[in-house]
Amino acid sequence: MSTYNYVVTAHKPTNVTHSCVGNFTGPQELNLIIAKCTRIEIHLLTAHGLQPLLDVPIYGRIATLELFRSHGETQDLLFIATERYKFCVLQWDADAKEVVTRAMGDVSDRIGRPTDNGQIGIIDPDCRLIGLHLYDGLFKVIPFDNKGQLKEAFNIRLEELQVLDIKFLYGCSKPTIVVLYQDNKDARHVKTYEVSLKDKDFVEGPWSQNNLDNGAELLIPVPPPFGGVLIIGEETIVYCSASAFKAIPIRPSITRAYGRVDADGSRYLLGDLSGLLHLLVIVHEKEKVTGLKIELLGETSIASTISYLDNAFVYVGSSYGDSQLIKLNLQPDSKGSYVEVLERYVNLGPIVDFCVVDLERQGQGQVVTCSGAYKDGSLCIVRNGIGINEQASVELQGIKGMWSLRSATDDLYDTFLVVSFINETRILAMNVEDELEESEIEGFCSQVQTLFCHDAVYNQLVQITSSSVRLVSSESRELKNEWFPRPGFSINVATANASQVLLATRGGNLVYLEIENGKLVEINHAELKYDISCLDINPIGENSNRSNLAAVGMWTDISVKIFSLPDLTLKTEDHLGGEIIPRSVLLCAFEGIPYLLCALGDGHLLNYLLDMETGELTDRKKVSLGTQPITLRTFSSKNTTHVFAASDRPTVIYSSNKKLLYSNVNLKEVSHMCPFNSAAFPDSLAIAKEGDLTIGTIDDIQKLHIRSIPLGEHARRICHQETSRTFAICSLKYNQSGTEDSEMHFVRLLDDQTFDVKSSYALDQFEYGCSILSCSFSDDNNAYYCVGTAYVMPEENEPSKGRILVFAVEDRKLQLVAEKETKGAVYSLNAFNGKLLAAINQKIQLYKWMLREDGTRELQSECGHHGHILALYVQTRGDFIVVGDLMKSISLLIYKHEEGAIEERARDYNANWMSAVEILDDDIYLGAENNFNLFTVRKNSEGATDEERGRLEVVGEYHLGEFVNRFRHGSLVMRLPDSDIGQIPTVIFGTVNGVIGVIASLPQEQYLFMEKLQANLRKVIKGVGGLSHEQWRSFYNEKKTADSRNFLDGDLIESFLDLKKNRMEEIAKAMNVSVEEVMKRVEELTRLH
Amino acid sequence: MGSWSVGNWPSFDPHNFSQLRPNDPSKKTPITYHPTHERTLPPPDQVISSEAKNILLRQFYQRGDEKLRPKRAAPENLAPEQECKHPRASVASSSEPPK
Repeated sequence: MSTYNYVVTAHKPTNVTHSCVGNFTGPQELNLIIAKCTRIEIHLLTAHGLQPLLDVPIYGRIATLELFRSHGETQDLLFIATERYKFCVLQWDADAKEVVTRAMGDVSDRIGRPTDNGQIGIIDPDCRLIGLHLYDGLFKVIPFDNKGQLKEAFNIRLEELQVLDIKFLYGCSKPTIVVLYQDNKDARHVKTYEVSLKDKDFVEGPWSQNNLDNGAELLIPVPPPFGGVLIIGEETIVYCSASAFKAIPIRPSITRAYGRVDADGSRYLLGDLSGLLHLLVIVHEKEKVTGLKIELLGETSIASTISYLDNAFVYVGSSYGDSQLIKLNLQPDSKGSYVEVLERYVNLGPIVDFCVVDLERQGQGQVVTCSGAYKDGSLCIVRNGIGINEQASVELQGIKGMWSLRSATDDLYDTFLVVSFINETRILAMNVEDELEESEIEGFCSQVQTLFCHDAVYNQLVQITSSSVRLVSSESRELKNEWFPRPGFSINVATANASQVLLATRGGNLVYLEIENGKLVEINHAELKYDISCLDINPIGENSNRSNLAAVGMWTDISVKIFSLPDLTLKTEDHLGGEIIPRSVLLCAFEGIPYLLCALGDGHLLNYLLDMETGELTDRKKVSLGTQPITLRTFSSKNTTHVFAASDRPTVIYSSNKKLLYSNVNLKEVSHMCPFNSAAFPDSLAIAKEGDLTIGTIDDIQKLHIRSIPLGEHARRICHQETSRTFAICSLKYNQSGTEDSEMHFVRLLDDQTFDVKSSYALDQFEYGCSILSCSFSDDNNAYYCVGTAYVMPEENEPSKGRILVFAVEDRKLQLVAEKETKGAVYSLNAFNGKLLAAINQKIQLYKWMLREDGTRELQSECGHHGHILALYVQTRGDFIVVGDLMKSISLLIYKHEEGAIEERARDYNANWMSAVEILDDDIYLGAENNFNLFTVRKNSEGATDEERGRLEVVGEYHLGEFVNRFRHGSLVMRLPDSDIGQIPTVIFGTVNGVIGVIASLPQEQYLFMEKLQANLRKVIKGVGGLSHEQWRSFYNEKKTADSRNFLDGDLIESFLDLKKNRMEEIAKAMNVSVEEVMKRVEELTRLH
Repeated sequence: MGSWSVGNWPSFDPHNFSQLRPNDPSKKTPITYHPTHERTLPPPDQVISSEAKNILLRQFYQRGDEKLRPKRAAPENLAPEQECKHPRASVASSSEPPK
C-alpha cells in the first residue's frame, strides 16, 4: 500500500520571481538576492561576476522580497513576506556567517478576501512603515519606531477594491502611497494617500490622476530630486507628480518588470512579455521633469524581474525562460542590440507537461519537460548525470591516446601529459606558471604513435610504441633501456603498470616484461591462437605496483581471457558471443570487490566478478552504454576510484553499496580520458573530445544534467513513442505582427535523439491541442499518436467542440488516419482496455477502434459517464478510472465490460480544485490541487455500507508549496531491481516553478523511522526567519488548515547529511540509534533522485 | 556613443565584473543553508502581530474613548482630548490630523 509517501526535490525551483540588489552581507559588499518562489539565493558581486554564496530555503512561497536600510544601520535588511501571510526581516551576521531574524510575524486577518492581483508588500523609503495589501479593501501597516524596531500592525480601510499596484512615494514628509486601481467601470486611475500612523488612517494625498491607460499595471516610484511616479501602461507611459504630468506613447506591450538604473531615478530598464528590454529615460532640466524617452535596447528572456547590478551588468530574472546575466554595451551590435547575454541560468519552469523515457535504453529514466512559455518555450531533457567542469581546453585533432606521468615515482602530482597521435607523440607539461606547454622527454620516441605509457618504479617512465618498449629515467629523461620485438612482429597493443609490461604482437604473441632499475627483462611469452585486441594488468591486489593477473581480449573467437603472471598460464576464459570484439578490458576493484570490465566495440559493457586467486569470472552482467567502442580507464575523485568509459556516451562507472552504477557524463563524445592530477589542476581529468583536449574536474556523482532544446514556441503536451522513436508535442506559436497578436497551434513530431522537428500538423484556427497519447488498440498493434483538441472560441465560456485526431507515423511523418469530433475540449486521453478513453468537458467517454468496410479505421463511441464539472485529469488502472475534476477533487469510476458501461464507484467529497492526479496503487490515489497541496485518498472496498464504499477517504495531506502540473510514474535514477531502493515505487512530478520532485511510497517501517527523524530534525534545523516547518507543510486552503500526515519532507530529512557531526549525534541520540544507521538510511533515500 | 541615453552606466565598484569569464565552470552552486542556531527567532518584542480590533471596532473605541475621557481626564489632558473630539464635531476639519 502506498499510504506512506516521501516527497523530495530532485531539481530545485528555477523560476525567478523576485530580485533585489543591496549591501546585505556587508557594508561594502554588493549583493544580488534572488527569490525562486520557496528559496532565496544570495550572490556577491565580484570581479569575476556573480558569486553564489548561499541558497536559503524559505518555509513559504515568497510574495515579497525587499532590501531596505533601517535607521542607523550600515547594511541592508531583507524583508520577506510569504503567501501564507507570514513575514520576516532578516539580517546577515557576518561574524557568525548566519542569517538572523530581526523580526517576524503573522499578518493574516481572519476575515478578508485575498487580493486577486497578488499580494503587495512595500517599504516606505524613509523606513517609517511597511505596507501590505493582502486583502481587498485593506491596507496593512507595520510601523517602525525611531530605533528601527517594528511595532504592532494594523489595518486601514482602502476604498479601492481592484488594486493593481501600490508604491510609496519618495521624498514625502509623511509616508505617502500611490495606488493604481480600476473602478467598477473598468477605468484605471491613480490616487495618493498619506498614511497617518497616529490615527491609523489614510489622509487624502497630494494628487491623483484619473483615466489612465487601460492596460496600466505597474507603478515605478521616482526618487528625489524628481519624485512622483511612472505609470507603465500598454500603450502609454506617464510620469505623474504633484507638479508635473508627462506622457509618451509606446509600441503596444505588456511590461512586467523594471529595474532602476541610476540612483537619481532618471533611467529605468523595462522588460515586456515579448522579452524586449527598453530603457526609459526621464528627461529633465534643473531637477524638473520635462519629458520621457524610451529606447529599445535589445532582447532578453521574458523578464519577471530586472536588477541593475554594476558597471553595465544587469540581472534578468525570468519565470518563462532562462534567467540571464546581461551586459549593456555602449555600441549596438550588427542587429542594433545593446544587449549582450553573458550567462544563462537554466530554468525548467513552468513545467506544463513532461514524460519519462529511457532514451538510451540503459534503464535510466530521463524526464523530457515542456518548459518555458511564449518565445522562451523549450523542451528540456533532464537526467541524472555527471558534469565536467572545464578548466582549460586546447584544440587538438586526432588524439589516439593519453597518459599522465610524474617527474618522480613518489611525486604527488603529475607533470607530463603524453598525447599520442597517428604518427607522432607530443608531450605537454606544466610550466612554472602552471600553464600547459609543449615539452620533451628526450628518451621518448616522438615521431610515432605511442601505444601505452606509464610511471615505473625507480623513477622511470615506460613508453611503448609499435616498434619497441623504452625505459626512460624520469629525472634525466634519458633512455636507459629499450626492448624490441622480433623483427617483423610489431607491437599491436600494450599495457603496463609500475613494474610490469604486457604486450601483444602480430599473430597473437603475448609477451610479458618486468621493469627493473634501468632494465627491461623479458620474463615470458605465449602464443595465442588469435590476435589480441586489448590487454590490462592494472594492479588491484595487495601490491599496488604489480598484478598477478592479466586480462586479455581476443579477436576472432571474441573472448576475454585471464592469465596469471608471471607465468602466462591461462586461468579462465569467457566467450562473449556475438560478433563484436572486446575493445577494452580493465581489472578494477570497487569497494574492495574485484571486477573485470570488458567493453565491446558496439558500446556494450560486460562486468564480471573476479576471483583474484583462481582468476574465475562469475556473475556476468551486460549493459549498454553507447553505440561506439568504449575505452576504459580508472580515475580517482574524492579518494574513491571510479572508472571512466570513454565513448559516444561517456559514462562513469562507480559502486554504491557494493553495486555497480552507471552515470552519464555530460559530454557528447569522448574518445580518450586519462586522470591528470597536477598542482594547478588537482584531481582533474584530461579528456579528448571532438577535436579538443580539455582538462577539467569531475562533478559529484548523481547530479541532474539538463539539456534544453529551444523551440521558440510554447510546448504544452508531450509524449514519446517507442516504436517510431519519436516525441509528439502539442505546441502553440505566438505571432506578433504589428498590433495583432495571433496564435497558431500545432502537433509536431520530433526525433527522440536529435529533437529535430520531422513533421508538423497545423490545427485549425482557435483549435488548441489539449492532450496527447501514444497508444495502440485491440486487434491493431500499430502505434498511434492520439491528440485531443478544443476549439476555444472567444465568445464561449467553455469549449463546446473539439476533436480527437489519430495519427500514424509513416516515414517519420504524421499521417492523420482518423478524426472524431467531440462535444467539448478533450482534456485527457488514456489507453484503456485496447480502447481510447477521453475526458471531454464534464464527461468521460470511451471509444472503440473500429475497422470500416473499406479497411480504414474509425473511433466509435462505446459508452460514457457524466457527472463532473470538468474532467481534467484522468488515469486508469485495469478497469478503474480515476478522474481529477476542475473543482470536485478525485472520483473513481469503473468500466463494466459486460454492460459496456462506466459507473462511479466512489468519490472524495472535498472541494479540491485539481491540477494533477495519479494512481499510486490499486487503492491509493494521489492528487495535487491549486492551493499547492498534495493529498492521497483511499478506496474503501471493505466499507460496511454503500455510503462508506462510495467515499474516497483522505489518508494523506501535505503542503508542497508548488503547483504540480503533472505526475508520472518513473524514476530519474538507474533502478536496480534487486536493490532495496529498487523496490520503492516512485512518481515524478513537475511544477510551475520548474521543480522536478519525486514521491516515493515507503514501507511502513521505513516511513516511521523517517517520520521520527523528521520530527527531530525540526528541532535542530530551524526555519529561516523563524518560520515553522510544521506550519509550512500543513495542508492549507481557503477552508481549512490541517497538519500534514502520511507525507514526509525528504528535503528536510536529507539535509541531515549536511549537518555537523555533533548535531547528527544529537539527533541520533534522541532517536536511540547510531549516527551511522541514520546516515545509511538517509543516504539510501538520496539515491531515489 | 551609440545613443544619447545608452551608456554612462552607474559604477559602484569598478572591479565588479571586470574579470568576468562567461560560463566559468569553477562557479559552484551555492551551499544550502540549514540554520541550527537560536537566532532564527527574533527578540520577543519583535514577534509582530496585528491589532486584534477590526477597523470598525477601533473607530468605535476611539470615539468611545473620546466620549469618556474628558469626564475623567485631568485638566492638563483636556486640551488634546478636546481636539481629538473635534473631527467628529466638524466634518470639514476631519482631514486635519490632530496634533
